[in-house]
Amino acid sequence: MTAALTLLTIGLPWLGALLVWWIGDKHEKIQHWSAVAFSLAAAGCAITLLPQVSSNASVTYSMGSVFGDYTFVPDGLGLFLSIVATSIGSLAVIFSTSYMKGEAQLGRYYAFVLFFIGAMVGLVLTSNMMLMFVFWEITALCSYALIAFHNDDPKAVKGGIKALVITSIGGVGLLLGSVVLYAFTGSFDFNNFLANSSLVPANVLGILAFGFLIAAAAKSAQFPFQTWLPDAMEAPSPISALIHAATMVNAGVYLLARFYPAFKAVPHWTEAVMVVGMLSALLAAIMALVSNDLKRVLAYSTVSQLGYMVYAVGAGSVFASQFHLFSHSIFKALLFLAAGAVIHNIGTRDMMAMGGVGKKMPFVQAVFAIGALALAGIPILNGFWSKELILEKGLQQGQFWLYVVMVIVAGLTALYTARCFWLVFRGEPRSEYHTHKTDLAMKIALAPLAIAALVSWLVVGRFSVLLGQSLPYHEIEPFPLKELFHEVISIPTLIALVFIAIGITLWLLRSRLTAFVDGLKSIRWAADNSFGFEAINGAISRSTQSLAESLRNTQTGHLSWNVLGIIAAIVILFVYIIVGA
Amino acid sequence: MNLLFLSIVALPLAASPIVYLVGRLSARRNKIWGMNITKIIALLVLFAEMVMVGFGVKTALTVGSFLLTIGDTMLAFDGIGLVISAVVLVLGACSMLFSFRYIRGEKGEEKFYALLLISVGCIMGLTYSYDLFNMWIWFEGMAISTYFLVAFYNDQPASLEAGFKYLVQSAVGSALVLFGTAIFFSLAGTTSFEQIWHLDTSGSAFTVLGGVLLVVGFGVKAALVPLHTWLPDAHSRAPSGISAMLSGIVIEAGLIAILRSVSLTGKIGADWGVILLVFGCLNILVGNLMALQQKEVKRLLAYSSIAHVGYMLIGFGISFMFSQTTGAAGGFFHLITHSLMKGLAFLSVGALMYVLFIANGKHDSLMLDDLNGVSRKYPLLAVSLSAALLSLGGLPPFAGFMSKWQILVAGAEAKTGWMWAIVIFVGLNSVLSLAYYAPMINRMYRREPSEVVQRGKAVPWVMLIPIVLLTLGILVIGIWPASMRFLTDTAANSLLYFFYN
Repeated sequence: MTAALTLLTIGLPWLGALLVWWIGDKHEKIQHWSAVAFSLAAAGCAITLLPQVSSNASVTYSMGSVFGDYTFVPDGLGLFLSIVATSIGSLAVIFSTSYMKGEAQLGRYYAFVLFFIGAMVGLVLTSNMMLMFVFWEITALCSYALIAFHNDDPKAVKGGIKALVITSIGGVGLLLGSVVLYAFTGSFDFNNFLANSSLVPANVLGILAFGFLIAAAAKSAQFPFQTWLPDAMEAPSPISALIHAATMVNAGVYLLARFYPAFKAVPHWTEAVMVVGMLSALLAAIMALVSNDLKRVLAYSTVSQLGYMVYAVGAGSVFASQFHLFSHSIFKALLFLAAGAVIHNIGTRDMMAMGGVGKKMPFVQAVFAIGALALAGIPILNGFWSKELILEKGLQQGQFWLYVVMVIVAGLTALYTARCFWLVFRGEPRSEYHTHKTDLAMKIALAPLAIAALVSWLVVGRFSVLLGQSLPYHEIEPFPLKELFHEVISIPTLIALVFIAIGITLWLLRSRLTAFVDGLKSIRWAADNSFGFEAINGAISRSTQSLAESLRNTQTGHLSWNVLGIIAAIVILFVYIIVGA
Repeated sequence: MNLLFLSIVALPLAASPIVYLVGRLSARRNKIWGMNITKIIALLVLFAEMVMVGFGVKTALTVGSFLLTIGDTMLAFDGIGLVISAVVLVLGACSMLFSFRYIRGEKGEEKFYALLLISVGCIMGLTYSYDLFNMWIWFEGMAISTYFLVAFYNDQPASLEAGFKYLVQSAVGSALVLFGTAIFFSLAGTTSFEQIWHLDTSGSAFTVLGGVLLVVGFGVKAALVPLHTWLPDAHSRAPSGISAMLSGIVIEAGLIAILRSVSLTGKIGADWGVILLVFGCLNILVGNLMALQQKEVKRLLAYSSIAHVGYMLIGFGISFMFSQTTGAAGGFFHLITHSLMKGLAFLSVGALMYVLFIANGKHDSLMLDDLNGVSRKYPLLAVSLSAALLSLGGLPPFAGFMSKWQILVAGAEAKTGWMWAIVIFVGLNSVLSLAYYAPMINRMYRREPSEVVQRGKAVPWVMLIPIVLLTLGILVIGIWPASMRFLTDTAANSLLYFFYN
């Protein structure tokens, strides 16, 4: 039963992908409905698996030799992420039935969305490192295909290829780690490794730890790999919500969380993780503050919040990071879908051309407000509880200056969230735009997320038990609601709330703080270029191309030179062997 | 068994002149029907070969390699022969079926099928051969038949130039091989592998020279860098079915010949592993960087072939260096998957060239810009080409990922730092290759078709058969890589057999 459900959760979306593609673009309505049906079915399977959570493999196919056994384990971490992926996936698909109405090549769109959902579930449920890498790359493929969905737009194509290349470069870290793991343990199953990390010698363990960190940072758009996520905003909004907020970018955090027990003892690893998280949180918050593109603000905000999750893993609390992942998936998907509704309506992403949208789209304004409150960390929304928990754990861990930065970032988060909400929904319209009523499909997608943002934190007790009981190596203690209140309602939280209040106040008083605002404007240029990282990307790209161009001189087209090459090879080879011998 | 083996080797060569004569003679009476009969005979010959080789495979897997001795020459059906026969027959049949429409009506059509049969036969003979001089003869047969196939469009200066360069460089290579063979003959008094293995030749400069001459000579055909310069022209100017064959199996045959030669000089052992690794890295880097700058599709694919030979070399190099079979199994696995995916890529591109140019009476090259909007008119071709390109880029769930994976695992098993640096290098280059494969896919899925696409004709169904088969093939192998283990593991054991005896 468990085996069947596991395979269905992965296989149903894939079946749906093939079906939607095969149905063809002439039957648009059937494509929409099939996509919704298959994604909902997958979500149903994932939720049905919940009572059968266990740390034993539910499915095992032996592939032999260097491919390992294809195993799937429905443990708490994997199941929780599968439910997130399939549920938010279904909501994004429902939203798409309205957002993508009338678009060309819809079959390709839904096929890749469904293919992605299945691959994401596979990624978190498998315990075979090769399969994990396979699914990792498949999600990268789907992300690329969906970012570049509008192939006629060169910005979209460029964004897609950039995302593919940067995440794949990071993926080489995961690749190296996986094959080295196999070389030393003889198996691709990471549970063997987690049980006994001394199977791998200490220096090799370091290579694995930092290789995985690189892969995770690239996938989750953390420092120094954050440049691909803002350009990925060329994707249709449901894709930004699903892939670049709620699921794929969490894969990096998942990787760190999964392997924490094995790597926590590697010298300097936890510090490195915390620094990566902190830098990402800080830099991205600043970039969000000065950006005028609605989706970019949300993209930077994603990077920043992922920074919190990464920081939490480094600080030793996998549970806090996963709790925030849970909250973040909900409120970030909510924000992106709501933003999508606004953009679809108004026709631009430029916040400077918006203003006063709240009067025309009250429902969207309300749900966006809920998401914004959660993002800013206002009680009693889910974002408040999880972010404060992370801050508590960070303080307990010891590195005080890192903690201070994270609290300041919480204030910055409130500031840019307030700014974003105000610029879009409040005030007077700054340009001529027409709006129409929000479609029912969009409302159906938004409402559950808004409700969840209000109440999802209530399940913290069950959540901790789910993780604790099925993850034998992570030592996660049960964490009932009482404990949550106890931890979070404390002085440090009050101080953090003060910072948040300062953030919002700064926005409200902005007309009187011209010096501050001007100061911010001067760093806008630096922030828009990702503080120099875009320049690094450009330099790497240009130097590769110029190397390639100069290499073209070796293809002379002259037979004499070609034959000279052959003779030269003989001479060099002969000399090498004789001298070497 | 002897009879079976003899037939396997003799049939394509014997059938080739018959195919030519049937085509030539019936051309006088009724050109169309004559050619149809010719084509069907040629295809049936390949199918008959498949059946016979199938029996051979069954025997080889259950009982072990079997031999055939004719006079002083020995042929052996071992693991390597298994892999190459399977690949050449599958790819040959696909190319032939594809070419039925592609080459229809061209000048010298009947020669095409005869030459294709000769090349298939010679490639198989090459891999069965357990004698140095005999191997050279088959090698020359393969070379000569492919010279004419590359320069098939002999009224086009570009094709002639490509064919000529290929001929001259290949001839240089062949001459070098002869010199190397002569050296070994002078040392051992025979050119048989068995005898040469048992020579006490360690450390002698003469043997080193012989080995180097053999490796470089065969290396011209295998497109090792810096011996590769003939390849971009030849593979891009040949008819697309032949491009598929060239990239898919002809250069790999050269690689097999290199591996056999390396085994002969095996007592110099470890050095050859390093040399293959260096050539491998060079091939991958040069192939990828050059492909990045190409604007013509077939030329891009040709450079990509150079890079993929590099991956195979790395696999084999690891095996020779660390005396393990995983690397060689990975190398053979990549040989198989590359032939399928590069074959698919060239056949898809060829189908596009047919519908966009040849069906309209032109012989233009396909440029990147011509790919714009292909999916609107030719959805199946867009999917097949996309699948081929993604597979070549090493993305799951396609076969190209699995074969690269096996090679990289072999590298990790070496447990040395510099080998892991090579693993990272190979991984990064695989990502780099995406930078030139992915934009092609994006172009195909644009909504605005290019001018050429708008004027394109319909795709003949006979061309789609091999394309669909190959697409399914790379998908199935990508999901179920163990399906090829019976071929790759056996071949790896055969390769290293030399070193354990």
